[in-house]
Amino acid sequence: MPQTTDLLQGTLDLLILQTLDAGPMHGWGVAQRIQQVSNEVLQIGQGSLYPALHRLEYKGWIRADWGSSENNRKAKFYSLTATGRKQLQTELETWDRLSTAIAQVLSPVLNPALNPEASS
Amino acid sequence: MISEWLTRFRFLFLRQKPHELDEELRFHVEQSIERNIVAGMSADEARRQALIELGGLERTREQCHEQRPGWWMGTVAQDVRYALRGFRRNLVFTIAVITTLAVGIGATTAVFSVVDRILFRSLPYAHDDRLVSVGTVHSLEKQEFMMGGFFFDWRDHQKPFEAMAAQGTMPHACDLVENNPAQLDCLSFDTGFLPLLGISPVLGRNFLPEEDRPSGPRVVIISYGLWQSHYNRDPNILNRQIDVDGSPARVVGVLPKDFQFPTLQSADVIFPMALNPATQKTENGGFGNPMRTFARLKPGVSIAQARAEMEPLFVHTRDTWLPPPYRKDFHLSIRSLRDRETQDVQLIAWILLGSALAVLLIACANVASLMMARGEARERELAVRAALGASRGRLIRQTLTEAALFSFAGAAAGMALAEGLLRIFVDLAPTSIPFLKRAGLDLRIASFTVLLSLVCAGLFGLLPALQTPRVVALAARTVKSRKRTLLRCSLVVGQIAISMVLLSGAALLLRSFQNMEEQRLGMQTGGVFTVKIALPSFRYNTDQKQMDFYLRAEAALRRLPGIGAVGISDSVPPGGWQGDFRYAELSVEGRPHAAPGTGGSVAGRKVTPDYFRALNIPIVRGRNFTEEDRRSSQSPVIISRLLAARIFPDDDPIGKEFQASHEGSVSTVVGVAENVKNSGLIEQDLPEIYSLRRNVASDWEGRAPLMVVSSVLSPEAVAPWVRSQIAGIDPTVPVQIETLDQTVSKLADRPRFETALLSFFAFCGLLMAVIGLYGVISFVATQRTQEIGVRMALGATRVDILRLIAGEGVRLIVLGGALGLGVSLAAAQLLKSLLFNVGPRDPAIYASVVLLLALVALSATLIPARTAMKVEPVVALRYE
Repeated sequence: MPQTTDLLQGTLDLLILQTLDAGPMHGWGVAQRIQQVSNEVLQIGQGSLYPALHRLEYKGWIRADWGSSENNRKAKFYSLTATGRKQLQTELETWDRLSTAIAQVLSPVLNPALNPEASS
Repeated sequence: MISEWLTRFRFLFLRQKPHELDEELRFHVEQSIERNIVAGMSADEARRQALIELGGLERTREQCHEQRPGWWMGTVAQDVRYALRGFRRNLVFTIAVITTLAVGIGATTAVFSVVDRILFRSLPYAHDDRLVSVGTVHSLEKQEFMMGGFFFDWRDHQKPFEAMAAQGTMPHACDLVENNPAQLDCLSFDTGFLPLLGISPVLGRNFLPEEDRPSGPRVVIISYGLWQSHYNRDPNILNRQIDVDGSPARVVGVLPKDFQFPTLQSADVIFPMALNPATQKTENGGFGNPMRTFARLKPGVSIAQARAEMEPLFVHTRDTWLPPPYRKDFHLSIRSLRDRETQDVQLIAWILLGSALAVLLIACANVASLMMARGEARERELAVRAALGASRGRLIRQTLTEAALFSFAGAAAGMALAEGLLRIFVDLAPTSIPFLKRAGLDLRIASFTVLLSLVCAGLFGLLPALQTPRVVALAARTVKSRKRTLLRCSLVVGQIAISMVLLSGAALLLRSFQNMEEQRLGMQTGGVFTVKIALPSFRYNTDQKQMDFYLRAEAALRRLPGIGAVGISDSVPPGGWQGDFRYAELSVEGRPHAAPGTGGSVAGRKVTPDYFRALNIPIVRGRNFTEEDRRSSQSPVIISRLLAARIFPDDDPIGKEFQASHEGSVSTVVGVAENVKNSGLIEQDLPEIYSLRRNVASDWEGRAPLMVVSSVLSPEAVAPWVRSQIAGIDPTVPVQIETLDQTVSKLADRPRFETALLSFFAFCGLLMAVIGLYGVISFVATQRTQEIGVRMALGATRVDILRLIAGEGVRLIVLGGALGLGVSLAAAQLLKSLLFNVGPRDPAIYASVVLLLALVALSATLIPARTAMKVEPVVALRYE
């Protein structure tokens, strides 16, 4: 079983938005998709998934509509709204900045060749 | 953007149906099962794994719900409903809490509304924080004043002020001569006065500079009160000629309704001061007219800075105008306007507010203790709620909601109580506490009350809220916490300490008041009344006319039946104005002068011979003035025994001569009168000089005299005759008759007010503290019932049990009492200036207060202790 990682606070929203960018999807789908794409590293339990979906819905970033699933079951499909799309852009930029910054701070550790102590 | 808001808005009102979430989750589980089956599990196993993976369903549901915007508002409503249900279920508890709070909040609100204007509320002038009273003071006049002779120099050369303005010192009686004549109070101010205070007339305008000149046009500004009562708020009053003191004056303005002179005097008609700076330097012996002056500090200039900057001007004035012996006694004084108005009552205002807050604190402690007791009882309920998923924050919020509800209910009841208390205050109120008659409950006071109740809720809500329900509480047996009992005990110690402080303060004031009431005044007050007649100065414009009037009045009153003696004086002791002298200026032949500025003041009174007879003041040596003396050219004096002992310590004073002041004439002592309480009820007696009021016009100049009459009939019976006699001489003059008992009683009004209020607070505080003590001890007793059973089974006698439980109470009483005693002894110094003939650390007072507190508190512990003592051991052992 692959190792799972705790999610950084606030990243779940970003992951959901990014996943929904591909098109409308139900909650189960979102969770599965994130798990797949991350090679089973990110496993999202319903305990955090559904409150997050509802939070985004209340913020008006995603919209929910009842539809039928692949196997013809009634399911709630979430899709990105225009504001949500804009928000995704901003969040991606923020994430970019953040991860670059973190990478820079951690670079000596990650790349021993650049670490003077390790190389000596 | 708009759509986002619309979405948000929609969710505020549309309630998401709960089953939608359930359906969503069901779908999730089904998908999960399907995946597991595909992975090769059996149907049952797949379902089991899916449910395990799903985890706490209820928690998820709750969390989704909490994402809703405005979700917390719903919980507040829920908390309120829950709290109200609780209140209804436990009505006695609810009433006890609300009553306690109402007393605390009500007392504080009432007192706050009284002291607000004295201590906090901004004065009704623009830039009121920068307004000051400026002037000189000396030992006989402690309120700042200036003389026209130097006012203009100061005004034109000062640097620290933006503006300076003046008003007349005293309103004087003046006549409005119209078809509806009335006697009014007239005052004057200069053109700069209203702008300085930032006041503009409601109608018309301020005086123009050309009207504020010596022979300018005769114009007046009238008060709103006069405009309303006399002219029915006629807008055409402007430019109307009204007849004041027999000559016409044109009305140019009407003052605002709530306008108040910074001296707190009242006046109906205001003239321009119309002073001539040049002639002011020559009039009145070169000093000019006296006046009260006010100024506005430049922004950023402090009073201390202003004083430093004004000092050179003052020194110059002092050294130019005053002969050396006077200089030492003269000082520059600059005070904030608030201090000028209320300095002498600020201390008592703080004391009253402090005591009211102390009562409130005791009330809060009581309620906290009650709530904690109930918290114990509800612990299991709270633990169940916590176990069902209520978060810590949620439980705290629930308790705080209850506290806030209690507080608001208490505040509402307190407001009603405050209204009642305020009426009592106003009835009791002495005139010497300014603004009290105007005190009322307005929006500002109401907001204060609401704030107060919130603070209270915080105080007594937080303590019980911080008790975490423990898991142990879920167990079937109740386990009592020792720690919480400790907290309640310390609350009780605090309550006892505070009531000790209140009690000792009240006891000191009570003793002082008693001393004041019981002291000998040195004169007879029963059957004596004073007749005050306000002669309009324009018709009685010479000393001769005034004298003639009073001599006729004297003769007329003497003709009445039942009248003993009819004397005439400047005033009557113990309050009353006196023409004071400085002791240091008295000069006796053959004796050195006292050093300037030492020896204090000497009271002076100008009286007719019957003054001593009317007040029954014995002449202990020599003789009284006689009717013949009144017609002679000699000016004999009578001195009080106190003065005789000071200036003629070794000799017989009769026949000796002395000079009362530097300019005064030489007088011969003909008699020595017994000492009279002549400087208010509290102050030390002053030595006194009585000079004779002869039938010479010059002896009647200055302040309007007062007739002092003794009568064997009741004053009520004589009063109408007196009025008709005076009316027979001049039917228009107002006559004011007051018994001396009333006059003296009025002097005691303020101490009576202070004492009554503080005693009331002390009583409330003690009552509540004792209730708190009783509550805690009975709680402890019930808590230890089982222990008592065990002890009795092991052979403890009932007395042992009584001692055990009462001991608990005694510890609290001793601790609280000692703490309170310490604080009282430290704080009593504050009361010092209010006390008469009793030290702030009078041991007898403290002993009796300690005794009282101990007795009351002990009985509060003995009742529950006795109940504990009577418990049957078998019952106690089985007690759950």
